[in-house]
Amino acid sequence: MVIIRMNDKMSLREVEKRTYMSYHQDGLIDIFVGIYVLLFGSDILLSTVTEFSTWFVIPAVFPAIMVPIWISVKKRITMPRIGYVKFGSRGTNKLMAILLGLTIAGLGAFMVFSFASRSQVWALTLRNLIVPNGMIIIGISAAAISSLFAYTMGLKRLYVYGLVTLALFLTGHFITIPFAYFLLTIGLVIIINGFVLLIGFIRKYPLLQGDETNVKKSL
Amino acid sequence: MSKNPSNLKNINRLIHEPTRLMIVTQLYVVESADFLFLQHQLQMTPGNLSSHLSKLEEAGYVEIVKEFIERKPHTALKLTKKGRAAFNKYRKNIKKVLEDLPSQPPYL
Repeated sequence: MVIIRMNDKMSLREVEKRTYMSYHQDGLIDIFVGIYVLLFGSDILLSTVTEFSTWFVIPAVFPAIMVPIWISVKKRITMPRIGYVKFGSRGTNKLMAILLGLTIAGLGAFMVFSFASRSQVWALTLRNLIVPNGMIIIGISAAAISSLFAYTMGLKRLYVYGLVTLALFLTGHFITIPFAYFLLTIGLVIIINGFVLLIGFIRKYPLLQGDETNVKKSL
Repeated sequence: MSKNPSNLKNINRLIHEPTRLMIVTQLYVVESADFLFLQHQLQMTPGNLSSHLSKLEEAGYVEIVKEFIERKPHTALKLTKKGRAAFNKYRKNIKKVLEDLPSQPPYL
């Protein structure tokens, strides 16, 4: 619910965040992100067992396959229950800027790793810095990315996912367990939470009969 | 009381009404929303929301956009340019009125 108190500073940003929160309370985004993380983990696990990897396909799976399915499911589950909202270009631009920034950061990280695999002394020093602390670096990066999305979208549960990821990867720094298992665990945690949210959402907003999803005829 | 009571006259009463202020604020932060979304978001009854939307539509602040989503007709509500300008002006004016209030009541 939008709360506007005239004695408080009226914050449009707060209303915008509440709208995002309300639109994503169905847990669908969690389920799809969780499945994606699970796919990543499964691919790594598969590549260690069979030496067959689809890592070059995985990054394209989310925008090409999962996003269209998510939109379609959203139209079937969320829209008939709480209605439809179209966010302005300002919010979309902000998310696009974050995604672009992350892509650039990802490419930068890839280049750093490429340089570190060279045989020069400085590359060896870099490698000695990255490899032993890999789990910590990935954990902090994942927590930072998650927090960035949490702040932009106003979805507080993303902070929790970030913290869980950080805790798991920090544990992984001290315990030797294959990397894929950490991804599978995080993916499962996110999916389970998504389904809990989805069940709660469906119970809270039962499907309405007739044409009540649309604007009143009297208007 | 404001130092300059005439500032209060500049307050748009159509927007100032709390329920309509909630509706306009909600529509201001999005591109468009449908009736059901507004109803849930603002926790209003259909009749109450409908009556306030009619007033905003009459004033030319809200427009009804007919569109198709997955080949089904859909009606979205959108704040017009006039509505956005009126809301921006309202924010400016109400801020001015509140800023002009003395920090302590004069009788203290």
